[in-house]
Amino acid sequence: MTTGPGPHTRLAGGLLLWYGVLGGAVAWAAHLLVAWPLDELTCAAGRERVAAVPLWLAVWLAVVIPGLVTVGSLLVATLVWRRTARASSAGAEDRAVDRSRMLAVVGVWANLLFLTIIVLGGVAVLVFPPCQG
Amino acid sequence: MTDRGGVVAAATGVAALTTEEPVGRPTGWWGMVLFVATEATLFACLLGSYFYLRFQFGPQWPPGGVDKPKLLIPLLMTAVLVPSSLPVIWAEHGIRRGRRGRLRAGLAATLVLGLGFLALLAVEYAENLKHFTMTTDVYGSLFYLITGFHGLHVLVGLTMIGWLLAASLRGGSFGSHRHERVRNAAIYWHFVDTVWVAILFTIYLSPRL
Amino acid sequence: MSTTTSTAPAVGRDDLARLAEHWAEPRSLRSWFTTVDHKRIGRRYLVTAAFFFVLAGLSALVMRTQLARPESGVVSPQEYNQLFTMHGTAMIFLFATPMLFGFGNFLVPLMIGSRDMAFPRLNAFGYWVFLFAGLFMWASLPFGAAPNNGWFAYAPLNQVQHNPGLHMDVYALGLLFLGISTTSGAINFIVTALKLRAPGMSLNRVPLFVWAIVATAFMVIFALPALNADNAMLFFDRRFGTHFFDPSGGGNVLLWQHLFWIFGHPDVYIIVLPALGIVSAVLPAFTRRGVVAYSLIVLSIVAIAIISFGVWVHHMFATGLPQLSYSFFSAASTVITIPSGIQIFAWLATMLLGRLVSRVPLLFVIGFIVTFVLGGFTGAMFALTAFDQQVTDSYFVVAHFHYVLIGGAVFPMLAGIYYWLPKITGRMYHEGLGRWAFWLAFTGMHVTFFPMHLTGLFGMPRRVYTYRSEPGWDGWNLVSTVGSYLLALGLLLVLVGVVHAVRRGRPAPADPWEGDSLEWSTASPPEPYNFPVIPRVRSLHPTWDARTAESTTTGATADRVLSDGRRTLFTSELDARTERAVAMPEPSYKPLVLAGALLVFFTAMLLAAYPIAVVAVLVVAATIAAWLWPPRRPDEELGVAS
Repeated sequence: MTTGPGPHTRLAGGLLLWYGVLGGAVAWAAHLLVAWPLDELTCAAGRERVAAVPLWLAVWLAVVIPGLVTVGSLLVATLVWRRTARASSAGAEDRAVDRSRMLAVVGVWANLLFLTIIVLGGVAVLVFPPCQG
Repeated sequence: MTDRGGVVAAATGVAALTTEEPVGRPTGWWGMVLFVATEATLFACLLGSYFYLRFQFGPQWPPGGVDKPKLLIPLLMTAVLVPSSLPVIWAEHGIRRGRRGRLRAGLAATLVLGLGFLALLAVEYAENLKHFTMTTDVYGSLFYLITGFHGLHVLVGLTMIGWLLAASLRGGSFGSHRHERVRNAAIYWHFVDTVWVAILFTIYLSPRL
Repeated sequence: MSTTTSTAPAVGRDDLARLAEHWAEPRSLRSWFTTVDHKRIGRRYLVTAAFFFVLAGLSALVMRTQLARPESGVVSPQEYNQLFTMHGTAMIFLFATPMLFGFGNFLVPLMIGSRDMAFPRLNAFGYWVFLFAGLFMWASLPFGAAPNNGWFAYAPLNQVQHNPGLHMDVYALGLLFLGISTTSGAINFIVTALKLRAPGMSLNRVPLFVWAIVATAFMVIFALPALNADNAMLFFDRRFGTHFFDPSGGGNVLLWQHLFWIFGHPDVYIIVLPALGIVSAVLPAFTRRGVVAYSLIVLSIVAIAIISFGVWVHHMFATGLPQLSYSFFSAASTVITIPSGIQIFAWLATMLLGRLVSRVPLLFVIGFIVTFVLGGFTGAMFALTAFDQQVTDSYFVVAHFHYVLIGGAVFPMLAGIYYWLPKITGRMYHEGLGRWAFWLAFTGMHVTFFPMHLTGLFGMPRRVYTYRSEPGWDGWNLVSTVGSYLLALGLLLVLVGVVHAVRRGRPAPADPWEGDSLEWSTASPPEPYNFPVIPRVRSLHPTWDARTAESTTTGATADRVLSDGRRTLFTSELDARTERAVAMPEPSYKPLVLAGALLVFFTAMLLAAYPIAVVAVLVVAATIAAWLWPPRRPDEELGVAS
């Protein structure tokens, strides 16, 4: 690698790595912070709609969109893992590659965990009526 | 690297993906960012409590015959506080190039705007206290706690700004190689401004939705 | 013995003399009040936290004595309420977290190859605040004004109309005060670990203990504000008549519970995670190999730290919220067991694949695994809402969290005490005494708390100051009380062992266990500057690694000796590339003055002496202003344009 990518491309790559590591965590946090108060507060107010949208659909969206973000994060983490695997098998001890590889492994498993949580919550939306006490 | 495919390929190459980011930040910057993060969580808890109590309370909000908050003064406060970040940015850019005059002028301008905000807050309190106090009901408790706590943060931020101004007037404090304190105080001040926007939305605009 | 020794031949005698001159603190009263040395501060954290542990433990013994027989009258109900509240509050806030922060303070700079924490004076300040806040809370007990509402202080009982007196004001103000210390400590740990790692220690070479401390610190940053907001509102409700938790004014009692458990569940892991980090640090020395699956343990630490924020409602399954909103939290509560399981299996695999060296620290680690797994098992039972609603607020809950906290935190801490005692004091402990201490503490723990599962299932509620004979709870309660005395005896032997080591122990070599992390490359106890040469780290197990050792002997370079001043190295955040050498602050009275002014402020608030509080705030502001005031420098050095 003689020239290497420019600074903007490097920045994009660095941020992409962090999306792969933490994307699922952030998506899950957003899912929880939207789905839970939406359900609890709407029910407490005695309603079953949020504006014009039925409550179950709103909660369902708060499950599906973060779920898709997590899937994207999982794919990015897998990509980093495969790219760094190729780089480190080509030899040349470079601790930046080893560090990114470790973060990618953490990212892959973390995203699987967060995807599981989001999917389990999504199943519950299918099972329970939103305001059953 | 002009076509989009090339950009994506480069950004997902090993060299880009192993770029160190974040990198090269001083300890003071990290300390201030983490402090702001914990403070922001504190405000998130307070604003979350506002919505929780509001929605648990029932359809009528504010309760007990209190009018919906008037918008004139808070919008004036916003117009004073949010632009007050600009002189700080201008001053910080100035001192990075070693311009002490810009640092002093920028800090002084922010100080004036911040004091203006606190004066308007006093007017707002004087107006509201005629109708309800902190002990009237939970709405009053939330209103005064959240705005008062933010006002306290503005006061702390202004103390920092005034302290920086005093240090820069003394001379021998800041220059193009030494401006970490200016940067850290600026981060805090931007945070105080940003929180105000969230408070404006929560306390003043959300009851009208 | 490892290949490194404390006085590496490549460092000149004059370099060592200069380092000693710049870093050494004289043994004087002044130095006792002004020190910023992370090792002295760390030792103080450990000793002070142990002192609060003894106070809280004695409270527990009084309670067990009261409960040994039905309808006994050792203490009054009012006293009993204060005792169980102070026991819980002190164990959680004044013992567990500060004790682990003490380990962190002493060990993190040593493990990452630095000469101090990132903010040494903030570190000293954090200790003084912890000490003062602890004394502030305990001082209320002799006045009969101690918190009396349980450690989670539920509304509406915490409101002034139901609970007059200063009790809960002490609680709210004391925890706000202590929060300053915990937050500043957390920020310090994160910045230290990000910027002060020895060159070459990229994120994939950071010791697991440091990962655990950093994850804990991040949890403190995001969890503690919820508790602070809660306590601030509580204080305003009690003192100034607001209505946050008062339904008659439109408030809501459940708000207290939500905010408390948003903090409280992460706090369980704030206590347990660094303790698990101790286990990961102790195991390599006694299995003669690195902990298996490093990346997965890092994953487990990070995942636990994040997911623990999304499980708080499982403390409130008995409060009548919509089923669907429970399920989001049930999902997270169930999945969080996976990363915990990963760690347990990684340790078991390490022990299976390694060669076990049966010494006291390893015994405590094994005791930890057994006890913690049992506690985790009853914990998983609570994730079933139906079971939870059956046993909530019974002794079953008491049994569960003592298994988790004694098993998951106290046993690892004891392992850590025996493991690092040679490094901290420079003396070896007595092995036989340590074994007695382990078996007594282990047996005592199970004899005390196992029967509580049964009394809980038989229906005995927690927090009752006495009970009648009819339900048949007496026998098991007597067993618990006997067990608690055994446990206390075992812990007393730990104390005796430490004092014996300090007084009579044989001098410890630099690396008595042939450990893998960098603290074993320093002298026992370490020199004030920690490392004569800051090492260049080449692997995950630097002390086992000849190339890292070489970097401090024949490969030593002046940019890592830094003997011309009180200096250490900044490196980059992820890959630890050398950035620049920086000067570290000198000892100072300001941290003590600042903490003292805060003590005056909180005491004045408690006693409603508001003018004094205002004065104290002014002193606080003035001290901070003087602390951070920029030194005067010539214009050329500053870089001034006009």
